[in-house]
Amino acid sequence: MIKHITAPIADETVDGLAVGDRIEISGFIFTGRDAALPKLVALIKSGELEKAGIDLNGGVIFHTAVSPAGVGPTSSNKLEIEGSISELSKAGIKLHLGKGALHESTVRALDERRSLYAVMPPVTALLQSKIKSVKIAAFPEEGMEALHLLEVAGFPAVIAAAHGKSLYANAGGGNGK
Amino acid sequence: MTTDNRITEKVKQTLIRAASTYRDDQKEAYRRAIGQESSGTAKWALEQLLANAEAAEKNAGPLCDDTGIPHLFLEVGGKRTVSGELLESIQQGVAIGLREMPGRPMAVMGDDRQRLDQSGGLDADPGALEPVPIIIKPVSGDVLRLHVLMQGGGPEIRGKTYRVFHKHSVSTVIDEVAGWAVEAAGQLGCTPCVPAIGIGRTHFEASSLMVEAMIRGNFGVQSDLEREITKKINRSQTGPLGLGGAATALATFLKVGPQRASGVRIVCMRLCCCMEPRVASVDL
Repeated sequence: MIKHITAPIADETVDGLAVGDRIEISGFIFTGRDAALPKLVALIKSGELEKAGIDLNGGVIFHTAVSPAGVGPTSSNKLEIEGSISELSKAGIKLHLGKGALHESTVRALDERRSLYAVMPPVTALLQSKIKSVKIAAFPEEGMEALHLLEVAGFPAVIAAAHGKSLYANAGGGNGK
Repeated sequence: MTTDNRITEKVKQTLIRAASTYRDDQKEAYRRAIGQESSGTAKWALEQLLANAEAAEKNAGPLCDDTGIPHLFLEVGGKRTVSGELLESIQQGVAIGLREMPGRPMAVMGDDRQRLDQSGGLDADPGALEPVPIIIKPVSGDVLRLHVLMQGGGPEIRGKTYRVFHKHSVSTVIDEVAGWAVEAAGQLGCTPCVPAIGIGRTHFEASSLMVEAMIRGNFGVQSDLEREITKKINRSQTGPLGLGGAATALATFLKVGPQRASGVRIVCMRLCCCMEPRVASVDL
């Protein structure tokens, strides 16, 4: 059974999802990867998030570039991406969307922050028709790696880390693509 | 320099086909894998990947947003010749193909330092992405055939070129490379994979053979050694997208070249992701 999730995501929705659940995500979601996410964390730490007009409460971060070629998950276990997950969860992000195994410490941090990690198949061609709008939310100087805000309808994913458990319990984490 | 529009158009179409199409033997391998999976999540992931391939082919659009770095492999035989005009026409075809597909605009700009730390920004023109130096190989017959490969970033991180001391045993070499593949598959994220492997005398030769393996390999026709490597990888149960399951590798593409009279073999392994090998060929 597919569970339909709409961003912003409530804490109760997080509580109701478990590892292995298949979901479809709709609503407005942020995108960011190696270049934008450390900058976003720096904004949070400097207390300038609100001033930048960014509200992360209940939000979704999709680990992808946004380009004319489309979107698709990059490896969430890259140093600069996985390193942002705990801080972004603390600032209100409820769902991190990407691919690949996360380290145990990140899975624990997600649990402590009442946040989730979901894996999306790299299905760029299928995702094209599910994107309703695209705009740059911050860091335009990063080009395709800028923080974008997408409006999406029915992005497919599977919950891979929730409540301290991981689908990747037997896979090694590492610095990915 | 003048260019031949007929060649340029053929190269453009071939590049787009490489980036947007699963080969027929690849589609069949996916169908077989879907039939063999007992895990619902694994089956779902494979079905998503096959549906994505069908959508990409229908739209002649990218299979993956990482559209890859163009690699070119030119076979030349008989009385066919390679001229500066031919090479320029091929380069033009690549640039136009990248713009029309469209490819991801990921050419890093700037001087040496800026290109290393990516501080010079990215070129907004997808066609600014340079292909890597072309490989030219002599073949028999009147042939001028170009193979275009689009190489994504994840498999490059998971690739490895290294020496293996064979100890006069094939299984020493095969076990070593299978071990690399199992470890890399657990971290790739985009499984099922296809390890492309070249074994030669130097690092350059092994890498060239790896590229050739991606061109010659066939999902439906596997040698004993290829089957053995695939079997070893699939024992890991890493499964599609690393979520667990039977299909960690769909096949292995292996090319063994000339070998040095020595105790060492140079092995290049590139763990092609679930979108790869993205390769298409054309007679020019």
